[in-house]
Amino acid sequence: MSSFTLSVNGSTRTVDVAPDTPLLWVLRDRLDMRGTKFGCGRGFCGACTVHFDGVATRSCQTPVAGAVGHAITTIEGLGAGALHPLQQAWIDEDVPQCGYCQAGQLMTAAALLAKTPHPTDGEIVAALAGNLCRCATYVRIRRAVRRASNAMAGRTP
Amino acid sequence: MTGTRTISRRRFFAISGTVAGGLVVAWSIPGCAATRSRRAFTPSGFVQIDPDGQITITAKNPDMGQGVKTSLPMYVAEELDADWASVRVVQADLNRDRYGGQGSGGSDNTPSEWQRLHEAGAIARALLVTAAAGRWGVDAAACETEPGFVVHRASEKRASFGSLATDAAQLPVPAKAPPLKDPSTYRLIGTGVRGVDVPAIVRGTPLYGIDVRIPGMLHAVIERCPVHGGRPAQVDSARALAVPGVRQVVTLTGLDNPTHLRPGVAVVADSTWAAEQGRKALAVTWDEGAGAAESSGHLLEQFRALEAGGGLKAIRTAGHVDSAWRAAATKVELTFQQPFLAHATLEPQNCTAHLRDGHCEIWGPLQMPTSGAPVIANAVGMPVEAVSIHITRLGGGFGRRLLSDYAAEAAVVSKLVAAPVQVIWSREDDIRHDYYRPAGFHHVRAGLDGRGSLSVWHHRLLTLSRNRYRQSTNGPEMTEIYGLLVPQSADPADTYDPDLVPTRIRNCRLEYGDFPTTVPTGAWRAPAHNFNAFVIESVLDELVHRGKVDPLMLRSGFLGDRPVIPKTDDASVPYDPRREQNVLRLALEKAGRQPLAMHWGRGWAAHYTFGSYAAVVAEVSVDGNRLAVERLVAALDVGLPVNPLTLEAQTQGGALDGLSAALFGEITIDRGRTVQSSFDGYRLLRNSEAPDVEVHITPSREKPMGYGEIALPPVAPAVANAIFRATGRRITRLPFAAAGFEIGAPRSYGL
Repeated sequence: MSSFTLSVNGSTRTVDVAPDTPLLWVLRDRLDMRGTKFGCGRGFCGACTVHFDGVATRSCQTPVAGAVGHAITTIEGLGAGALHPLQQAWIDEDVPQCGYCQAGQLMTAAALLAKTPHPTDGEIVAALAGNLCRCATYVRIRRAVRRASNAMAGRTP
Repeated sequence: MTGTRTISRRRFFAISGTVAGGLVVAWSIPGCAATRSRRAFTPSGFVQIDPDGQITITAKNPDMGQGVKTSLPMYVAEELDADWASVRVVQADLNRDRYGGQGSGGSDNTPSEWQRLHEAGAIARALLVTAAAGRWGVDAAACETEPGFVVHRASEKRASFGSLATDAAQLPVPAKAPPLKDPSTYRLIGTGVRGVDVPAIVRGTPLYGIDVRIPGMLHAVIERCPVHGGRPAQVDSARALAVPGVRQVVTLTGLDNPTHLRPGVAVVADSTWAAEQGRKALAVTWDEGAGAAESSGHLLEQFRALEAGGGLKAIRTAGHVDSAWRAAATKVELTFQQPFLAHATLEPQNCTAHLRDGHCEIWGPLQMPTSGAPVIANAVGMPVEAVSIHITRLGGGFGRRLLSDYAAEAAVVSKLVAAPVQVIWSREDDIRHDYYRPAGFHHVRAGLDGRGSLSVWHHRLLTLSRNRYRQSTNGPEMTEIYGLLVPQSADPADTYDPDLVPTRIRNCRLEYGDFPTTVPTGAWRAPAHNFNAFVIESVLDELVHRGKVDPLMLRSGFLGDRPVIPKTDDASVPYDPRREQNVLRLALEKAGRQPLAMHWGRGWAAHYTFGSYAAVVAEVSVDGNRLAVERLVAALDVGLPVNPLTLEAQTQGGALDGLSAALFGEITIDRGRTVQSSFDGYRLLRNSEAPDVEVHITPSREKPMGYGEIALPPVAPAVANAIFRATGRRITRLPFAAAGFEIGAPRSYGL
């Protein structure tokens, strides 16, 4: 057991865990932030996606020791008080079915739009290709990313 | 996934007041005397109206993404004439007395819940109207409702539901349910209503079984024998117990019925991660049992040997298939290989249990709480009344969670360690120890006579039976023959099987064979339909091609142009070939007939699943060995569409789920073990590989039927038929990736 100090959604949190514990389980089991999901533990599905300094990162593949010093953002911190335009677009397009993968989808899409505010169709699917949706809500995910991109640019969808 | 489809119309409704003076309407089902005696007190009801106007509707059945937490409360709200904006939906716990059976399967919720939920809403509305009429001194029959209000037009009086709730709660229960609305006056049903949980989902709010936290809860993972059917022989837990955070290691002996509880070794720890580390340190010697020799290749050999040995059972026969086959002018003979499929719900199996003081409390993603409760009770040796279940949202179902083994595991581990425990499966546990869609082998001989009519259909299905695996006393074929073509029968009981398709084929024979195996099997979305449709529609396509006949004419010839069984007021709706023809015609029309580029192909298929009809047109491109599915067009007839927004979503998702399985889905068995273990070996469709899905719904006033599974079965044959048009190659073994295709991305996403 070792002590680690993390920056999560703008707050400083200290946890006492084994250094190889993945950030995913620190979030879920220690910090009671259960929005980030366990899907495969191997980095294949993307359900555990969070941001490190704005970059989409697999929290199941990141030992807590490697998370120190990064500004971590989770789904709970995505909207920073209000809904992020992507979250609103997800509601407007009624994207989720079971909903389990959607936190990871939203975090990946948010990292995309932060870097590429006006993505092409190809850029949208390339960015989201690593996030599996078992319900296959892919058509609405793409529409919602497009809608949010338009909304952030002040255009009506 | 089908159970008893008819439900009694006789129900007892109860009303009562809330502490705050509101109105509660609950129902109870016949035969539950306890409820009737408790009629006067209903602490939480089915629909509750508070004096402040808040309306709370209870969602009785589990939502795994198919949207029943939204669509079933819409039934109540419609008859109540509630303003949907003032409706709050809460998930019910398991409550046998109040709600009757609770579960989701067989696309059955939409039709089977219709009557009683409408009645619950109608009673609440009638009470509000009576209360208003009494207050105003007018005739109740002269009052109407608008969303959220009772109005009396003559006197221009108007009262909100909330202002009437306390008075309404004092009124007696109506002797019988008031007449239901004429569907032409619906304000809510038939409009697109967004999922009630969506705002919580996008915020990352804990909703799922895996998110449950109980004070003092421990975390457990279970190591199971890598060979299906095996069990732990010797367990050395010393190193596991030395891992920091690990509390206990306990052995689960399993039950005789492997769909109830399988053997394993549970590592119980302070956290999920510690439990996983402890599991890695376990040393278990396994008794692998008889299953260690099983393999996918051996199963296929057994199917072939079973057919060659002639040990098949005739399920339905008409005419003489052998002489008709000899006489046929156009012949098609094909064999098909049906692979095992895993469910791979993205939320891994999990459940939380706390067993104490003779009571077993369960929190989890249970798809079938009512049938799960006795399984859990049996596993821990308690009466079923001692089990209470809190139903969480399910992170996917796809048939996996029709079984409640993971809940029984949690209950047993909680009992053994005397603490609240959450059991979590890793992804590897899930893929390796799933209850798979059965593997099988089909052999079909079909022929056209000289006039191009289907004169012979001889279908041999060799498969594994999930009925046999689950030790059901019902025939092993019953779970595997859904959707297959059978001759019309002189005995209406034979013909009137809602899961078979009665045809006018003069020489028609369906034969079946299976054998026991240690490989676990279970229902997978649109069970049996999901491969049977591939077989039927591939053969029909080949007949169309070889016989140069019109596909719609061919179908109307053997399906007929009217229902075989006339419509009754029974809960089941008989198969109507016109509706299937209509959706196929609609899909073809919407797809268009414009010529495609070189190496492109357009294929189609239609299928009838659980009372609803779907047709899919697929367009593919095949460049060398690179296969891309470019476009899917789906047309559905589900009767009256309850929530078009969910219907579109389920059609898109169901079609792409069918595509995912058809392109990639295959579990293989070697030395009794499942070869695949995660999403590297068991591939799922990715966003970049998913074509646009165009959805067209037939407007209908027919009885509303489900739509969670309907779009899936026609997809694989539509794609296979498109590949045939593009290449001349007939694929009869799924998945397509196993035929040597590399799967590419569509050129356009239709955004």
